[in-house]
Amino acid sequence: MTSLSSVSKKLFSYLLWAVFSVSTVAGVKAASCPDDDAVALSWLDKMSRSLRQANYHGVVTLQRDGDMQVMQVSHIVGDGSSLERLVELTGRGAQVERLSHPLDCIHPGDRLLRGEALLSEKSCGIATHYRFAVTPGERVAGREVIRIVIEPRDMYRFGYVVDLDEETGIMLKTQTIGHGHKILETMQFANIVYSDNLPEFSPADVIHKAQHLDHQSASTPYPVTRAWSIGWLPLGFAATDPSTGTSERRTYTDGFAVFSVFLEELNVEVRAGEGLVKRGGTTSYTRGMRIDEQPVLVTVIGEVPVNTARMVADSLDWLP
Amino acid sequence: MNEGMGESLSALMDDEANELELERVLAQVSQDPELRRSWIRYNVAQQAVQGSQIACLDWDISERVKSSLEVLSATAREPAGIGFRQRMLRPFVSLAVAASVAATVVIGGQQLALIGSDDPYDYGRSLATNASPVGMLNSLGATTVQASYGMQAMPILEPATSKAYQELALQRHRKYMQEHAEQAALNAPQGLIPFARVPQIQE
Repeated sequence: MTSLSSVSKKLFSYLLWAVFSVSTVAGVKAASCPDDDAVALSWLDKMSRSLRQANYHGVVTLQRDGDMQVMQVSHIVGDGSSLERLVELTGRGAQVERLSHPLDCIHPGDRLLRGEALLSEKSCGIATHYRFAVTPGERVAGREVIRIVIEPRDMYRFGYVVDLDEETGIMLKTQTIGHGHKILETMQFANIVYSDNLPEFSPADVIHKAQHLDHQSASTPYPVTRAWSIGWLPLGFAATDPSTGTSERRTYTDGFAVFSVFLEELNVEVRAGEGLVKRGGTTSYTRGMRIDEQPVLVTVIGEVPVNTARMVADSLDWLP
Repeated sequence: MNEGMGESLSALMDDEANELELERVLAQVSQDPELRRSWIRYNVAQQAVQGSQIACLDWDISERVKSSLEVLSATAREPAGIGFRQRMLRPFVSLAVAASVAATVVIGGQQLALIGSDDPYDYGRSLATNASPVGMLNSLGATTVQASYGMQAMPILEPATSKAYQELALQRHRKYMQEHAEQAALNAPQGLIPFARVPQIQE
C-alpha cells in the first residue's frame, strides 16, 4: 500500500509539473491532443533542452546484438557554446569532439522534440506519430527517473522506452524497440556526474572533430551529376540540413529516428538487387537499380525498419 | 588503479567478469585516468590479436569493387558480333580480373556486373518505378515479374547475387555510417553517442 501510495504521489507530481510547464512550451499543442501526450511532450521538451544545455560527464554503455560498447561522454557549456566529447573505452579508443557548438543553434531534431511546427502537417507534432505513456521508472546510474514509453503509431519507425533523470531531464537510458516488442538496442549511463569540470583525457590515436552544417559529404566512388529527389517519406520526417541538387546525401529526422539516403550514379550496369545489414537499431539497406535507364546504387542508413528504408529507396527520382 | 580493480579489468577483458565486477569497473572508470588508459590499451591489444581491423580495408575494398566492376563492364560493352572463340574466352578474362581482388569481393563484383546487356524483363526499370509492397523482403527488391508465356526462360536469381549484395551493403554500411552519425548526433536526443555505432571512427 505504501509503495502504491508513493507511486500515486509521484504520478500526481509529474502531472502537476506538466500542467505548469506545458503552457510554457511553444509549439503545436492542439486542443485535441491527448492529455497524457501533453505530459510526455513537456518532458521531451525538457530532455531536449537539458541535453544541449547541462554540464555533465559519465560512462555510457551501448548494448546491441549481444555486444557491449563502453564510452565516456562529457558535455560542458560556457560562453554561449557547448563542448562535447566522446571517448571509446572499448574498441580502438577513438575520440570524437565538438568543440564549439552555439547554444542558439537548434537543429531540426530538437525543434521537433520541442514541439515546433517544422512541417505543414496540422497536428500534435511528434504526438501525431508516436503514442506516449509516462510512468515512474527504476533508478538508473543512481538517479531517480521517470519513464516514457514511446510507441509508434505507424510501421515506419521504431518504439522507445526512455528513462529521464527526474531532476535534470537528461536521458539516462533508452531502449529501441522493434517488431514484436524486441529490444534492438540499449544505451544507458553507468554513472553520471553533473559538473562543469572536464575529466582528464589521454591523447587518443584517432581524434575526430565532429562536423556541423558546413561539412563535406564523403566522396563516393560514383559521384552524382544530376539533381535528384525523394518522392516518399514517412509522415513527420523533416530534412536535417539543406542538402539538395546533386549532393550525394539527404538526411531526415522525426525527432527520435534519423535516416540518411546516399545515391551513387554508376557508370556500369548492375544486376538489380538489394542487401541488408542490421546492427542493433540501425538498418543499412543497399539497392542496385535503374532510374530512368541510369544505373544507380542507393543506400539508406538509419534507425528505421527495413521497409521504411526500402520504400524510401523506391521513391528516388531525377529532377527534371 | 588498485590491484583489485586491475584484476576486475583483467577478468572483464577475458570475458570472465561477473555483473558486480563489471559495475565496479564502470563506476570507477570515469574517475580513474589510469584505469581508463589501461582499459583502452587492453582493448586495442585485444583487437589487434583478434585481427579485427577489417574496417581499415573499407576504402580499398570499395576501390577494388569499383575497378572490378569497370573492367567487367568494359568486357560487357564489346561489340555484338564477337566471335565464338572470344565468347568462350570471356569467362577466363573475368577470372583474371577476379584473381586481382579478394575472393568474396570478386564474387560480388562479378555477380553485380551485367555481362552482356540482356535484361529481358527490364528489372531495373520496374524497380525504379514500382513501389514495393510493405512487409516483403526478397533479393529482387520485391518487384513483379512479367509472365513470358513460355517464349523466354524465366530469369533465375542466382544465390550469389544476394551474397554479392550483402557484401556491398556491408561495405556501404562501413563507408557511410560515420557521415550518418554526424547528422544523427545533431538531430537525435543522444548527443555524440550515435558515433558509437560507427564500425571504425575515422579522423
